[in-house]
Amino acid sequence: MNRAFMLLGLTAFTAPALVAQEDVAARLQGRVPPAVAAAVSALIDTARARGLPGTPLVDKALEGAVKGVPAERIVPAVRTVLDQLNASANALHDAGIANPSDQAVEAGAFAIAAGMTVSDVAAIAGTANQGHPAAVALQVAGALAALGVPRPETVGLVRAEIQSGRPLGDLVSLPGQVQAAMAGGALPAAAAAGLERAAAAHQTTPPRGQGKGPVNPHKP
Amino acid sequence: MRVTQGDRVERTAEPSDGAVVRAVLTGDVEQYSVLVRRYRDRYARYASRMLGSLDAAEDAVQDALIRAFDQLKQCRDPDNFAGWFFLILRNRCFAERRRHKRVDGLEHAEELAVPDVSLASLERAEQARSLERALLQLTPEQREVFVLKHVEELSYDEISARVGTGVAALKMRMHRAYDRLRELLRETR
Amino acid sequence: MSQAFDPRVKQVLDGERPAGDLPLALRAEAEAAQRVLAALDRREVSLSPQLDARVMAAVRRRAASPRRRAWRWFTAPSVPPWGLAAAAAAAFVAFLLLFRPASVGSPGAASPLATAAGPESVYVRFVLTAPTAQHVALAGTFNRWDPSATPLTRVGAEGTWMVTVPLTAGQHQYAFVVDGQRWVPDPAAPKVDDGFGRKNSVVSVTPTQGRVL
Repeated sequence: MNRAFMLLGLTAFTAPALVAQEDVAARLQGRVPPAVAAAVSALIDTARARGLPGTPLVDKALEGAVKGVPAERIVPAVRTVLDQLNASANALHDAGIANPSDQAVEAGAFAIAAGMTVSDVAAIAGTANQGHPAAVALQVAGALAALGVPRPETVGLVRAEIQSGRPLGDLVSLPGQVQAAMAGGALPAAAAAGLERAAAAHQTTPPRGQGKGPVNPHKP
Repeated sequence: MRVTQGDRVERTAEPSDGAVVRAVLTGDVEQYSVLVRRYRDRYARYASRMLGSLDAAEDAVQDALIRAFDQLKQCRDPDNFAGWFFLILRNRCFAERRRHKRVDGLEHAEELAVPDVSLASLERAEQARSLERALLQLTPEQREVFVLKHVEELSYDEISARVGTGVAALKMRMHRAYDRLRELLRETR
Repeated sequence: MSQAFDPRVKQVLDGERPAGDLPLALRAEAEAAQRVLAALDRREVSLSPQLDARVMAAVRRRAASPRRRAWRWFTAPSVPPWGLAAAAAAAFVAFLLLFRPASVGSPGAASPLATAAGPESVYVRFVLTAPTAQHVALAGTFNRWDPSATPLTRVGAEGTWMVTVPLTAGQHQYAFVVDGQRWVPDPAAPKVDDGFGRKNSVVSVTPTQGRVL
């Protein structure tokens, strides 16, 4: 396990692991119909057996119940989430990540829910490195996809940004940059393509401006 | 923490502020997004210190950007959009402070960032917090000169050029602010 | 003791005179004041990523208007199908500031261990403009979709509702609950299918830098 993943494990995402140990039935009790609780508990057992996080399944069941969705539609939705988590974990394994963190799995599942494919997730995770953890790269990819950036452009942009060797902050700023371009009237695909070209150009160009002191925005 | 949004775009050959202003005035409204991207964060720290909260700063910057669009024809020197926009934002901040007078400043002060206590001593963080609270009780004019001098780290000459007030008057304001802050900080002990 | 600084101390604070020039008694006072100034937070501030979109939406409305409307925060757009009078494209999520709470855990999973581990969280502001609404709440994965957990507060006369919530790292799905029954996605945030035929909005907080995507 590299240091980045150790860091991930130490931060906020200790919570899902704990939740997985909670009594799921108690969390669902009184909030979803008993039949749904039983079915979701079984799905969570399946998730645990595969080493997948259970929290997203509980969340989806609660969401369905709160939104007044009929019981017969809640369980299939929860099963879909399980399938997405499973697909994400498989993609991460394919990318050579033997023990992906829950957050990486969840980020991959979200990217899939937002329209990415398993091979997209594997391609992005395969490019991840110590400075650009898979969990973050997949979060960014999911956010881009949810903004309407088509799959090929999303994969191309995230991979190009990681390969550019620029700091992690540049990677996480991509959705904001795409949104800013969209606010200026650009289509998501065009915005992403432009940023990808800039990142690709940077791969052969030494970083500029490093070592400069902070710029006072009030000064010209 | 700094968002790098837009930096990369600005590294490429982007039009000058003047060119963008002229394009917008001739009907290319979408070009205004260039100015929005350029100036959204530039004076955000100033606004947040003037108003005492990031929420209020965001409202003020948004308000000022839209107001600047409304009044763009009155921008006499499009190449100095930055200075003109700053004055609009400044007016907005002053109006807001006058509207609320001293109001809920203390509550807002809680929202201001204080130095990371893991790096600075607790005493230092507490000093910063006390000072931020006290700043909210200065007049807008005193507060502004303090913020521009000690947060934005501008010289009196630079402040004078920006706000159009003479250096002597600014110094007087600043010195009154020092005394008032001293008084306020003693009260909190 | 006088409430005013000696003028020479003020010159030191102005950076126009070194503290070492002052008599000892004044030097101590000047150095103490300098320490207070040095503690000021000068970190840069970044506003919501959605600010650009909100400004441009307002600008386009103004540009399209045959006569410029009087200045106001948000104009009233078309009536959405779910019947709010003017739930404008004014909802957004804003990065506020990174914080590392000593005693505040994630709102949904208030796990003592997660708190002890020092989770990185960010405050995120959620805003919806809904002038005719009587009540607006926020429900999402961060509060276990509990519509009573996170009510928004109405601010100003424009019908703007607002709440600020600390979020831990991860991808959070959410929606606004208007008057206890209408589920309204955030018009300014990315969206995904919720699996039930509606859309959820999404806010992502990165684990390593606590950044809102």
